[in-house]
Parts: sequence; structure tokens; C-alpha cells
Amino acid sequence: MSKLSRVTLLQALRYRGGQPMLAWLLHRIAGTGIILFVSMHVLAGFFSYSVQGAAGSVGQVVNSVYESLPMQILVLFAVLYHATNGLRIVILDMWPSLIHYNREAMWIEWALFLPMFLVPASLMILVRA
Amino acid sequence: MTTQSDIAVQGRSGSQFELYAWFFTRVSGILFLLMGAFNLTYANLAGGRGVMGAGAQMRWAFFPISFHVRSTSVEVTPNFSNPFWQVYSFLIVVFAVTHGLNGLRVILEDYVRHPLLMAWVRVLLVAFWFFLLLAAIFLVFVYA
Repeated sequence: MSKLSRVTLLQALRYRGGQPMLAWLLHRIAGTGIILFVSMHVLAGFFSYSVQGAAGSVGQVVNSVYESLPMQILVLFAVLYHATNGLRIVILDMWPSLIHYNREAMWIEWALFLPMFLVPASLMILVRA
Repeated sequence: MTTQSDIAVQGRSGSQFELYAWFFTRVSGILFLLMGAFNLTYANLAGGRGVMGAGAQMRWAFFPISFHVRSTSVEVTPNFSNPFWQVYSFLIVVFAVTHGLNGLRVILEDYVRHPLLMAWVRVLLVAFWFFLLLAAIFLVFVYA
């Protein structure tokens, strides 16, 4: 872990970890994003229901941020990706001999994830009430 | 992907904490998936199919207690304040908060290199964990 300090940003960008690194990175980004979203959601609820006056409108502002369409699609991406990738990790951890098929597992994961994400996301963009 | 299990193998001598954290992350993730699928199925069978937007679907999937889903088009019956649904919703929050904050700890341990700072980060995370669980107890068992 302490080796991280000796890696410069340029080296990090140049590192070609391929699919597994992409999965690792997206899993972390999606997880952090979900934590941020849930924290925003709880704080906005707290502010708009229990704080009166000017501070109460903070809740409304935060609400309008995460209820916007781009944020909804980002949250959908984060939740779905974290779920499908997490399922792959759990399965490979439960049966360690399957790690030889990690590459195939990742392609199956994309095959499951992309339709599950793209169909609702495009419907959310195209069919707006 | 091997970060957590690597730590678990090395371990601090005598402490099984990382192993339990690793195991809990897997179990809570699976349970969370199953609970979300169950809640979504319920909400869509109970009249939400074709009427609910993405936001309403997520409200139902991840926290189906009465005050949280009252704004959606599915009718919320008084049954939703019975002990079973309260315990169920509380368990969802426990799994989500513990899974999330433990994941945040794992990420931060990769980037916070100063041991004393990391100790304070851990204290902060535990405090935040307790605060969120207390808030969940209030919301689910007192307010709902």
C-alpha cells in the first residue's frame, strides 16, 4: 500500500491493467458514488423535514441536484455496475478455481450489465413524462 | 479485486477482523441484491408496473418503509408499519451502511498512509456508522 506514493500520475495513467483494472476502478468509483448519493439523500431529507427557515431550502436545492435526469442515470449506472461486478467477485471468491475463467466472466458481466443499464437509461431519456 | 483478501491473509496477528469484514461484504452484498429484487417485484406486482419512474422504483427497492414510499403511486397499506417490515427495512439500512462504510475504509486505507491519521479516520467512520444506525432506528421504529 505504501508503494502508492512512488507512483506518479503519469505512470498511473500509462499503466495498462486492461479489463481487470477497469473493473476494479469502476467498482471503487461506483461504490464511492453510491455512498455520496445516499449521504446526500439522507442529509436532504433531514434538512427539508426537520430544519425550518432558510436552511430548510438547502434540502430542496440538494433534492433538485440528485433528482435531475443526468444524476438519476449516473446513480443507475453506479448501482447496477456495483451489483453485477460484485456478484462476479462473490462467485469467483466462492469457487476460487473459477478464477481461470475470469476473462470470460468479465465478458458475461458486460453482456448482462449493458442491456440492464442501456435499456432503462435510454427509456429514461427518450420517454419523459 | 484481491486487495481485501490479501489483507485478510497477512492480517494483524491474532485479529480476525479483516476476514470477518471480507465475509460480511460478500454476504451483505448478496442479501442486498435479493432484498432489492424482492422489493421491486412486490412494488411492481402491487400496482406500480408502468406507472413508477426510476426514482420511485429505487425508493421501493432500497428502503420500502411507509414514509419513504408514500409519494409513489403504489398504495401503502397500514401493514407497512408492522414489526416485520420495520425489522426488514432496518436490516436493509444496517447492511447498506456497514457494507458502504467498510468499503470506504478499505479504499481510504489504500490512500491514507499516515498511521495516526488512519486511526482518526477509523474513529470518524465508526462514529458516522453509529450515527447512521441511530438515525435509522429513529426513522424506522419511532417515526414510521
